[in-house]
Amino acid sequence: MELTIGRFLRLIVGLFIIFLAGWLVYTLSRIITVLIISALIAYILDPVASYLEARGLSRMTATVIIFLCFFIIVGLAFWFLSPVFFSEINNLQTEIGDGGNTDYVAAIESFIQEHVGFIDTRQLDLSTKLNDMFANLAEQLFAIAANLLSTLTFVVIVPFAVFFLLKDGRSMKKSFISFLPNRYFEMALNVLHKIDNQLGGYLRGQFTEAFVVGMLSVTALWILDVRYFTVIGLFAGLANLIPYIGPVAGAIPALLVTIIDGGGTTELLYILIAFAIVQLIDNIVLQPMVMSRSVNLHPLIIVFAVLIGGQFFGILGMLLAVPTAGILKVTSSELINGIRKFNLV
Amino acid sequence: MQEDTMWGNVFKKQAKEVESIYTVLHRIPVFQDLNKKQLRAIERILHRRYYKEGEVLFSEGDPGVGMYIIEEGRVNITLGKEKKLLAVLSNGEFFGEIALLSESPRTATVTAAVPSKILGFFQSDLFGLMETNPRMGNHILYRIAQMVSERLRFSTIENQQLKAKLNQLEAQLEAKKGK
Repeated sequence: MELTIGRFLRLIVGLFIIFLAGWLVYTLSRIITVLIISALIAYILDPVASYLEARGLSRMTATVIIFLCFFIIVGLAFWFLSPVFFSEINNLQTEIGDGGNTDYVAAIESFIQEHVGFIDTRQLDLSTKLNDMFANLAEQLFAIAANLLSTLTFVVIVPFAVFFLLKDGRSMKKSFISFLPNRYFEMALNVLHKIDNQLGGYLRGQFTEAFVVGMLSVTALWILDVRYFTVIGLFAGLANLIPYIGPVAGAIPALLVTIIDGGGTTELLYILIAFAIVQLIDNIVLQPMVMSRSVNLHPLIIVFAVLIGGQFFGILGMLLAVPTAGILKVTSSELINGIRKFNLV
Repeated sequence: MQEDTMWGNVFKKQAKEVESIYTVLHRIPVFQDLNKKQLRAIERILHRRYYKEGEVLFSEGDPGVGMYIIEEGRVNITLGKEKKLLAVLSNGEFFGEIALLSESPRTATVTAAVPSKILGFFQSDLFGLMETNPRMGNHILYRIAQMVSERLRFSTIENQQLKAKLNQLEAQLEAKKGK
């Protein structure tokens, strides 16, 4: 292939655009996170608004009703769960801050020595590693609640954005399409419709599954009398958004807390059985019902998506990485299909 | 008063414009059963596109995704590479309604003969309507079903007539061979 000046310039411009896009995504990562979360919530709630519309309500009334119900549910959950949740977070932070983890390390080290005798605990240097890990974990946990998305942003901007995306989403989509040239308009409409068909079930399924798994985990850990059962249970639910890694990542905090609290093999076994039962319910009952795994992502893509999400957007990015990868996969494959079918290239 | 005349003209112009769209829509068999309020909802859903003279709306073989209504202008429907003219459609006429039901490839190419204002109503819009306003969706679906059955009836009659003609020709051929 001949490398003409024109081609070279185009390559440079192309690379510059990619770099600019990457830089923009990185710089605007907070706003993008807020937008993604709002769009996801609005998208998940859309069928509810459509259902209410089908019952004869206007879109505006339907949106207001959904919001009222949502606020009542969130308010009640906050009223009942927040004291436990925040005291658990506070305890966790105080205990980590006080350097109380040396006791925990001792507990874990004695557990390892007792059960896995061939490992020399002095070589593991668990204390330093754990200190680093907990510092990161606490930082990340609070990043979600406080730093990354300030409480104000979350409480005000997300509901505000969700309200308008839910109410005006359809007209926004129509306006977006109206800007497209006539040549691409039919294809765009067709592709958007197909993406909606595939993604609707997938995303709603994913979040329903995460919610149910979270609730089941909270209940199981509460029955087993594990400390921080709400935080760990809810984390397990969210972690379930990540296939393969999620279920394991969800169980680890519960196991760690039990070891720290001096729990024996029996307690650990109970926790493992509880998580196995939750996963069994998820696999046998929930997944066939919600068809959330319908967008087949390659395990390698999942791993890299989680790593990239974590790099740019922290824990929240890791949790939202898989649904985002799903969105990108469906969008690109449908776009390529559409371009081929409409002979645009 | 001058202001009154001015505002009067503005409103009169708007009312006339709106009325013309509804009249156009009401003439389309697919929307015939809808009342004015429902037509207003349809107008909000429709995609209004502007085409320059000679611009292609869709080409033969493209996947069909919906129907078009000519609000203003004229289009040529042509077939094949030689662009054999099949029909010329103008204001208030429509085409491609079967694509609302199936995504089969377009059977002809449609090109704007003059600068045209076209309204598009697509499969995704129909599905959305069936979800949010089933009553209106049913009216439209019923009309499409009626049109399809009507076409099927015509095709069957035509088919029968062609078969009869073929039989007749075969009989004539046999008779000639017999001689």
